[in-house]
Amino acid sequence: MATATGSSGAAAASETPSAQPWPNIREAYEIKTVLGHGATATVHKAVCIPRDEECAIKRINLEKCNTTMEELAKEIQAMCLCKHVNVVQYFTSFVVKDEIWLVMRLLEAGSCLDLIKYMMKKGKGKGGLFEEAVIATILRETLQGLDYLHENGQLHRDIKAGNILLGSDGTVQLADFGVSSWIATGGDLSRDKVRTTFVGTPCWMAPEVMEQVTGYNFKADIWSFGILAIELATGAAPYAKFPAMKVLMLTLQNEPPNLDSCSENKDEYKKYSKEFRKMISKCLQKDPTKRPTASELLKSQFFKKARDKKYLIESLIQEGLKVRQAQQQNVKRVPGSSGRLHRTVDGAWEWSDEELDAESEEGKSASIGRSPRVRAQYKEDLENEMGTKTETESIKDEDVKTVDAPRSGETEQISDGGDQTPPLSLILRLRNASKELHDIRFEFKAGQDTPNGLSQELVKEGLVDGRDVIVVAANLEKVVQNRECKSMTFRLNSGCEVNEVPDDKALIGFAQLTVS
Amino acid sequence: MPLFGRSAKSPTELISSVKTNVALLTDAKTSEKKSEKATEEIGKTLSQVKNSLYGVDGQEPQAEVVSQIASGLCEHLHNLIHCMPKLEFEAKKDLVQIFNNILRRQFGARSPTVDHISANPLILESLVLGYESPDFALNCGLILRECIRYEPLAKIILNANYFYKFFTYVEMSTFDVASDAFSSFKELLTKHKLVAADFLEKNYDSVFDKYKVLLNSDNYVTRRQSLKLLGELLLDRHNFTTMTRYISNPENLKLMMNMLKDKSRNIQFEAFHVFKVFVANPNKSKPILDILLKNKEKLVEFLTMFHTDRTEDEQFNDEKNYLIKQIKELQPPVPAASS
Repeated sequence: MATATGSSGAAAASETPSAQPWPNIREAYEIKTVLGHGATATVHKAVCIPRDEECAIKRINLEKCNTTMEELAKEIQAMCLCKHVNVVQYFTSFVVKDEIWLVMRLLEAGSCLDLIKYMMKKGKGKGGLFEEAVIATILRETLQGLDYLHENGQLHRDIKAGNILLGSDGTVQLADFGVSSWIATGGDLSRDKVRTTFVGTPCWMAPEVMEQVTGYNFKADIWSFGILAIELATGAAPYAKFPAMKVLMLTLQNEPPNLDSCSENKDEYKKYSKEFRKMISKCLQKDPTKRPTASELLKSQFFKKARDKKYLIESLIQEGLKVRQAQQQNVKRVPGSSGRLHRTVDGAWEWSDEELDAESEEGKSASIGRSPRVRAQYKEDLENEMGTKTETESIKDEDVKTVDAPRSGETEQISDGGDQTPPLSLILRLRNASKELHDIRFEFKAGQDTPNGLSQELVKEGLVDGRDVIVVAANLEKVVQNRECKSMTFRLNSGCEVNEVPDDKALIGFAQLTVS
Repeated sequence: MPLFGRSAKSPTELISSVKTNVALLTDAKTSEKKSEKATEEIGKTLSQVKNSLYGVDGQEPQAEVVSQIASGLCEHLHNLIHCMPKLEFEAKKDLVQIFNNILRRQFGARSPTVDHISANPLILESLVLGYESPDFALNCGLILRECIRYEPLAKIILNANYFYKFFTYVEMSTFDVASDAFSSFKELLTKHKLVAADFLEKNYDSVFDKYKVLLNSDNYVTRRQSLKLLGELLLDRHNFTTMTRYISNPENLKLMMNMLKDKSRNIQFEAFHVFKVFVANPNKSKPILDILLKNKEKLVEFLTMFHTDRTEDEQFNDEKNYLIKQIKELQPPVPAASS
């Protein structure tokens, strides 16, 4: 049954009148576990000591932040002027060293993305992740929040499952509006220059935004909302598995995606209704003027299927709380200054943090029994790392395809010499353009082959990227010169996709040369 | 739509509703219950006023209604600002929209609302003092910045005593309020070039005494923002007199040299853009020249290693190399020929 919530939720976002205002000093808060982090910001669970109340604190590092302070201030001021049941409530903000701390409401059950990942892992993705009533409820709540922002003249710019948060009381709230662009990007601040490059996959981006002709307007949020609908049903945005450039191409060239766009089996999502599909296709129209406004979209038949908070709690949020708890057990804070996640040898994750004093009780106890850190540091989102990294660490041989490097006839003829050192059998292991691992087997005959020549041949055959011709040659040289050296891993100039993190173990952005 | 028709009030009714409820809200004798009712009523009224001024659902507002409301409401603006603490969250935002809309009203070359505020400058003071109340500081800030766009109003604020309160506001602990105050402060000093230049020139001592405190603030944001603004002010040709005075003071040079070594790279970088003004000055005062000469070697070495990773920033590198060359070539002044 549908609940009647056509009215504006603004009045419902009430404050507890007895409580004192949210303090704006660092000492009033006790920082707890990390809830998520990006290149320039980290979100912690925290306790406001004088109020004895939990909250979330987003710490934005201003030295690393890629926006001007004016833009940042504007975004935060805009947040202050939002109060709606479906928009994450901002409480206060203050400066701590070179960070801004944004104090916000804590949504205990985490994001819809956490839930999606959890469900997928449990193998519940087949035939559609959630029941339609669950999706309708989440989407209606989200859309009400979006409608409020738009009525206030604000854009969200980053609607996706990762930004839809769930409270233990069944609340659904939009997070990270406007401020998301500077969470995703890292790097240095150039004076008065705003960088327009984007980081991450543009899966939720509307075609007109990609083309950068008209710029961002309200209707771009509606497109993203349509993608979110697909994400909640299928577990991923339509082109999520492709690298960024390909997503741009597919979005611009193809017909707008729908529920079945990326399923192999035509009937996979047949459980979802016509109304749901119609709502999605209204959002995903390439011509932004044809898309409905948020308030028009709220009138869709589909949202009649939405139910109440209690229903969400029973069907979804109890699971969500479990996911959150499981996540938090994986990250331990230790004293340190990098403010980054570190991988320890035993595969656990550590968070090092300047705010945690090594001399303090918390710091001391955290330092006991720590595993030594692994050299690599990763910048990706917490959830990404915890979800996938462990599996990619070691590559099993059966995952790798073998390619024999075709050799031109002339080099093979002269190999009967007998008195020469035997040819060196080599394997170059790297990923091809479609990201699959390949072993390229070839021989190096001293006196006939040169590293430069061989490397060039590999490039000609399309087995090695042209940008890597020198680096491959240089490493060939090293292996050939030094017969002791049986294997070496090196970084490739061609690098990796913007949404990938270089990894010398998983050979992302790296290649490995082995003597067999 | 019958619902709309029933509840829609005429402009005259709206204004009289504003008047009645403002009177109730500003009267200390109003009972709590009545005051709550008035808050609710004025909230509804303001929402309707806003809709009449801006139009609803993409409909254009009616010119005549707009004009009636604007002229009728003008004299109540100040009282409305006074009611701000008692307004509901959304009503405060509606009031901002209404105020700014009425402010932009024009008759030919005249701006009647601007004229009204010029004649009643206490409105501006109330808005500035709004920064002391976190509950509606940002609402006041939004109106204030709209006012600052008009030269006569900016001039009134610059020349008022309460302008100096900004030096406290921009350092407040709550970031959203402090940064809003800073953007108003910056607008006042940069928007109307001639007015601002004149103000800085005439009030050089009192302004830069206080400005120094901002540059030395413990608050990272205050330090970084005020340093950046200083650079912009000094490099604006309108502020030539002020610039000349600033860069002839050795204390200022010392401060910038220290800031070049700040822990924060961003602050170092902003400091560079002020420091360069001292070095590139063709008429360096003797104390300035003395400091530069005394630190010649160290400065050259320091600048050579300064932000060497900014390879893609051509302008910066050109400037940096130029400064290094200038410093290398510095010569002690030839003792003035006896005359």
